Amino acid sequence: MVRDFQRIISIEMKQQILEKEGRLPSAVIACVGGGSNAIGAFYEFIQDRQVRLIGVEAGGRGTELGEHAARFKGGAPGVLQGTFSYVLQDADGQIALTHSVSAGLDYASIGPEHAALHDSGRAEYVSQDDAAALGAVVKLARTEGILPALESAHAVAEALRLAPTLPAREILVVNLSGRGDKDMGILARELKL
Amino acid sequence: MPIRFDPKHGLIVYLTVGDPSLDATRAIALAAIDAGAAVIELGVPFSDPLADGPVIQRAMERAVARGVRLADVLQMAREIRAERPAAGLVIFSYLNPILRYGLKRFADDAAAAGVDGVLATDMIVEEAGEYLAELARAGLAPIFLAAPTSPDDRLEAIATHSKGFVYAISRTGITGTQQTLTSNAAALVARIRRWTGPQGQGLPVAVGFGISNAEHVAQVAEFADAAVVGSAIVELIERATSQNGAETAPAAVARFIKGLRLPQAALAR
Repeated sequence: MVRDFQRIISIEMKQQILEKEGRLPSAVIACVGGGSNAIGAFYEFIQDRQVRLIGVEAGGRGTELGEHAARFKGGAPGVLQGTFSYVLQDADGQIALTHSVSAGLDYASIGPEHAALHDSGRAEYVSQDDAAALGAVVKLARTEGILPALESAHAVAEALRLAPTLPAREILVVNLSGRGDKDMGILARELKL
Repeated sequence: MPIRFDPKHGLIVYLTVGDPSLDATRAIALAAIDAGAAVIELGVPFSDPLADGPVIQRAMERAVARGVRLADVLQMAREIRAERPAAGLVIFSYLNPILRYGLKRFADDAAAAGVDGVLATDMIVEEAGEYLAELARAGLAPIFLAAPTSPDDRLEAIATHSKGFVYAISRTGITGTQQTLTSNAAALVARIRRWTGPQGQGLPVAVGFGISNAEHVAQVAEFADAAVVGSAIVELIERATSQNGAETAPAAVARFIKGLRLPQAALAR
């Protein structure tokens, strides 16, 4: 149900990019907490095999359990809140604590459709850490005058990493799923503004 | 299989294993059995007990912090079984610790420990194919939860796949005590009996969630085969432990259970 409502994102993305560029993007990049904005951004492109779908998890402040929310990197299949998916957990099946500078990515499990896209190889999942996300907020604010949410900034950080490795004509679509106004308190603290 | 209920007196006691300690849980379980509990539900501590109210959540947090694991719960079952061969023993767990332990390994180890049945709160009957097959192979009784909001086709599946007993939830929401039992419970049990058979025959139906005193137990006995008491006992253990020390909890629980099973006449106020 969440995916069905959120898919309006990729319906509009596709319409607009075809209007503007006349071709599909090389990749769609979205941050993944529970996974709603990402599945919405991916959904209409799943059939377009040439479009890379890249989900960006929260790398937090370290690779130890409890320091991040990168389920595909540090998690294992399990059931949390009635859903079978990748879950950050310890050897006894206790759900792990998570950390991310962005509250929206700070979750021990991930929407099960992402688990399916991961296992089938159709989508790729990477992580960006707190520092990269904070850097991306500053960069986007200074260059475009856009203040992205800390969640979305993880996707921006991945785009910043990926773009220099690609030919100039390739198109990346980054889903800016939220505004950063809500994060001003955290930004002020973390960036010592 | 020792899951048997005395007519009109069926009592199931839930304990969070390892709260306040493994030794205390063992002593409390033995005392509860001797005081008249037909079945002990051995609760596996879990970090995210989403069906439980604040009392059991606190107990779970304490037990998780002590590092109590599913393997410890199975060991406890083995020890209780050795001491009380006739008691019903049910593992009461959220699904994730069981999955992590390994479904097949869990079924083998639980059966070897002398466990009778398994109640996995978040295992729904529609997804239970492999789970049911493993429990059946090991000779363990699967027990499913039935809610007042369950439609008839789910109740039928729950009733036909459950063994040992069906656990009817007296109301929607989380575990915890309440002042009065709702009439929902009797209506739900009546609906379940369309598939389990009449009271006293066929598969027993137990009622839980919110049962905390002798009056509730007597009310439940009118229409169900057993009452499950959980939060009230976990809270009693919490109180006895903090006020008088863990070693006083078994006697306190035994007294409480004897009080729950008083004949109805003695309840007149």
